[in-house]
Amino acid sequence: MIQMTNVAKIYPNGARALVDISLKINKGEFVFLVGPSGAGKSTLIRLLYREEMASRGQVIVNGWNILRMREREVPHFRRNIGVIFQDFKLLANKTAFENVAFALEAIGVSPKEVRLRTKKMLKLVGLGHKENAFPDELSGGEQQRVSVARAIINNPSLLVADEPTGNLDADTAWEIMELLYNINRRGTTIVMATHARDIVEQMQKRVIVIEDGRVVRDENMGAIEYGT
Amino acid sequence: MGLNSARYVLREVGSSLRRNIWLSIASVLTIMIAMVILGASLFFFLNAANLAENFESELEINVFTQEDLSNMEVSALGERLKGLDGVQSIELITKEQALAKFAQEYSESLVEDLGGENPFPDSYKVFVTEPELVEGVAKKIDSLTGVDNVVYGKEVIGPLLQFTNWLRWVGMGVVAIFAVASIVLISLNIRMTVYSRRKEIEIMKLVGASNSFIRWPFLLEGMVVGLVGGLFATLIVGMGYDWFAQYIQSTLTFVPVVSESNLIWKVLALLVLIGMGIGALGSIISLRRFLKV
Repeated sequence: MIQMTNVAKIYPNGARALVDISLKINKGEFVFLVGPSGAGKSTLIRLLYREEMASRGQVIVNGWNILRMREREVPHFRRNIGVIFQDFKLLANKTAFENVAFALEAIGVSPKEVRLRTKKMLKLVGLGHKENAFPDELSGGEQQRVSVARAIINNPSLLVADEPTGNLDADTAWEIMELLYNINRRGTTIVMATHARDIVEQMQKRVIVIEDGRVVRDENMGAIEYGT
Repeated sequence: MGLNSARYVLREVGSSLRRNIWLSIASVLTIMIAMVILGASLFFFLNAANLAENFESELEINVFTQEDLSNMEVSALGERLKGLDGVQSIELITKEQALAKFAQEYSESLVEDLGGENPFPDSYKVFVTEPELVEGVAKKIDSLTGVDNVVYGKEVIGPLLQFTNWLRWVGMGVVAIFAVASIVLISLNIRMTVYSRRKEIEIMKLVGASNSFIRWPFLLEGMVVGLVGGLFATLIVGMGYDWFAQYIQSTLTFVPVVSESNLIWKVLALLVLIGMGIGALGSIISLRRFLKV
């Protein structure tokens, strides 16, 4: 599913976000990326959906070699990856329904199918009754549900999440984790960067610890211990 | 792009124009103002050029014949004048016409004092095709037999040509300056529009929309905004110019004003097209920065 070999990311200003990362993530895994702030978690996440390019090394996602991909292939590559963020990134002037439908319309699905699939997906994330609400009429947890719905409506084989519970209170965070857990059980690979120690401890999934741009630990079913 | 996408794009253009109504209005106004400026300066240029041409066409060579020529010899001279290179047209002024004109312009009594004598010779007015040719043609005419004297505005031509050229340059300069001003105005506005929607673009890219799919709504929106702005500008410039031309013609009657409706319509149509073109092109150029992955 994902294979990184000796990956480094150096920004034009000289900052070394990733120094030497090699890792392999298999299909169907649920993986936490943890580590102190500025360790390079977000950078690694952005490499996965080709928001950024590695400066060195090799990144292969879903069988695509990211560094050799042509510009016009990127949209097709992205259709098989769902992304969610700490700040949800919903469009404020579109309703919950429109925000989710957007992901289908953008790739040319017929209006009838868009309606059908969007309604079904909103029900799945527990927002069937709020499809006409605008983002600012929804709670943080509900907004994150909308963004999860948007991320998985194309049935991506990979879902990447950058601190998806960072803006949510503990209870709401667990609701989102339950949602992600179920999505993972249906076969979607999930890579999630997080700071939430309690979540990582309780979920008992693979944990990759990153510090100063390197993988310092990689354990299955591990609890985390890292400097703060 | 498939049918589904096309449908989506059209719907999106409509709803985006409505939901961002103030930004849409600002964009329309910007293009309108830019096109009004451009239109006004275009008409300024047209009139400057027209004025220059008018002055130049006033340049004429007066050819006075020798007094003892018969009518036949005078008309033979006329034929030869017509045959010269660079001559556009000639006009015969007989000695009688010259006298009558003199009497009209000065005084009847002066003519009566002449006691029936007519001191004026027959003469030709010669118009050349290019103002620069006046001097050469005049010299050639001077050497023809039967020609007594050739008079043309020798001292006037140089400064006049300088002035008319200057007039044209000023006209073009005004157009150029305001064209640049318009482009700056519009590109600022487009940048604002695109900036206000950068999140939308970011998300479109995230969910795998192709670049052309992202581009189309902006392109069409730019064209619609440009079209509306251009039409308003056309209305303003058209009516404004109509009023201006009438005002000038009634107060400064000696100043020629461009008033061929054909030409005016062409300029106005050009404004609409430029408005639309700038709207579309501006969107594409501003988007390029955001579409880079």
